[in-house]
Amino acid sequence: MELILAIFIGLLYASGVYLVLRRSIVKVILGVFVLANATNLIIFLAGGIKRNGAPFIPEGSEQIDVSTISDPLPQALILTAIVIGLGIAAYILALKYRYFEITETHDLDQLSKTDQK
Amino acid sequence: MTILPLAIVTPLLFIILSLLIQNVRVKNTLSLFFAFLNIGIALTILIEVNQWEMLKTQMGSWPAPFGITLVADRFSAFMLFIAALVFLSVTIYSVQSIDKERIKNNYFLFTYGILMGVNGSFLAGDIFNLYVWFEVMLMGSFILISFGGERAQLEGAIKYLILNLISSFFFVAGIGILYGKMGSLNFADLALKFSQIGDFPSLFEPSLILLLVGFAIKGALFPFFFWLPASYHTPPPAVSALFAGLLTKVGIYSLIRVYTLFLHYYDYFWNPIILWIGILSMVVGVITATSQYDFRKILSFHIISQVGYVIIGLAFYSVAGLAAAIFFLGHNMLSKTNVFLVAGWVHRERDTLNLKNLGDMFNKNTLWGVIFFISAFSLAGLPPLSGFAGKYLIIKAGIENNQILVAMVALFVGLFTLFSMVKIWIEVFWKKSPEQADKENIKSNNLPYGYMLSGSIILAFAIIVMGVWAEPVAAFCEKAATDLLNSQKYINFVLG
Repeated sequence: MELILAIFIGLLYASGVYLVLRRSIVKVILGVFVLANATNLIIFLAGGIKRNGAPFIPEGSEQIDVSTISDPLPQALILTAIVIGLGIAAYILALKYRYFEITETHDLDQLSKTDQK
Repeated sequence: MTILPLAIVTPLLFIILSLLIQNVRVKNTLSLFFAFLNIGIALTILIEVNQWEMLKTQMGSWPAPFGITLVADRFSAFMLFIAALVFLSVTIYSVQSIDKERIKNNYFLFTYGILMGVNGSFLAGDIFNLYVWFEVMLMGSFILISFGGERAQLEGAIKYLILNLISSFFFVAGIGILYGKMGSLNFADLALKFSQIGDFPSLFEPSLILLLVGFAIKGALFPFFFWLPASYHTPPPAVSALFAGLLTKVGIYSLIRVYTLFLHYYDYFWNPIILWIGILSMVVGVITATSQYDFRKILSFHIISQVGYVIIGLAFYSVAGLAAAIFFLGHNMLSKTNVFLVAGWVHRERDTLNLKNLGDMFNKNTLWGVIFFISAFSLAGLPPLSGFAGKYLIIKAGIENNQILVAMVALFVGLFTLFSMVKIWIEVFWKKSPEQADKENIKSNNLPYGYMLSGSIILAFAIIVMGVWAEPVAAFCEKAATDLLNSQKYINFVLG
């Protein structure tokens, strides 16, 4: 399972980088989303994948054998990262809309007007 | 100690209040009031830290490695105070320089968002919280850099956005892998665990490399600095002043924090890399700046060069070196913000920042000229200004560490900085306005600038104070550096 997930993350990163390097702004934005999800999966993978129960301590008992539960922290981290990613996605799409309004194109090569020749 | 959360809650309170208010005048007054409040809190933290050495708050009373911890040692208190000072003067400046339309659309809400992120990053006691505060800060800066939606701004915003997001991905992937390996996110706990490993199986610790690349992009260090000069010259001048003063410095702060807590166990691998990154940032930044002819672009390239000084101070890894790095970081935040503020005034008067179309500004207003002189020549390192003390400390630390060559390079880079500053001084303030080939391009706006000037004077005054009374500040930085090098003290304090 780890190996499959690792290969999958690698593929996601590859396609994300490929998209970010494209000339159209829509593809760049999609690439950013793909990279964000690949990163979330890395946290998930690094936290260890186990087919274990939810991290609850049963009523009445003081302790629980940690090998029978899965670590909740990486999942909490991913949740935080997803929420932040959602905010950024909303912003970046608004920015894209404004860009299209002003330049009427998706071409990122329009972005060199303020560079010194 | 309950003062630490206040530094984060105060900006949040302003953000909530500013959503309820429509009137521009009330908004301005409120933002000024909160900026003063913030500097008061930062000053209190500084005084208390000076007395008790370190402060911590366990949020929700969860003990240290499990809950969210806020920690302030001398280094973070110093950075908090300087950041508050920079923020105060930029706020005073913005009240006048930012147009009514932007203020009405809650310009100050986003600057306070940045302030909340910056304060949070300086106080964060665990690495994931640092990431979250980075994102808070970035979100505010994304919006500010594109605020208004002019064409030039969009250019800067998209470059800034994409590269900073990629740096966040590096950072968060590093955190994930680090957690998988060490099983902790708390700085003190991580430092403790690293110190117990003893023998390191591999030179290449991928999580640390990912973290370092993330910080290096945020801090605009040598191979990763391209986003900074491509974007800092596009937003309104007050915004670029705020960015120049606060944003990259948070990346450098995190780098110093991580390096002194656990990265130094991999010293034999990282130290030469950090040293070379510092040297190359210094040299490349300053040399590329010489070819530029835009006021703010020259200053942007100089940010890269000056961050290099801080990094070589870190790479010396001695008390003197780190103390010099901290002092220089503080000095650079003040001076760099102030030159950007002067650029803002020039832009307001002439509607351009191209050096070729400017001139004769000294006769236009002597006081602004003097302020530019103070800040720019502080950057170049002329006595008795703060830059002289900062550079002197760095070079002295280099010589003491037998890094004569590095010290020589630092001196040489200072010469180039002086060249660029003199270039701006001559082109903008001294030379006659360019001959009348494009007369219609030379405007004179004669707008009021009282608030802008007082914001700038605060910083100029701070630069002089930091230069003339450098000794107590340097002594404080030395204590801060001693604390940083003694990571056991930090571990015991946070976990104990």
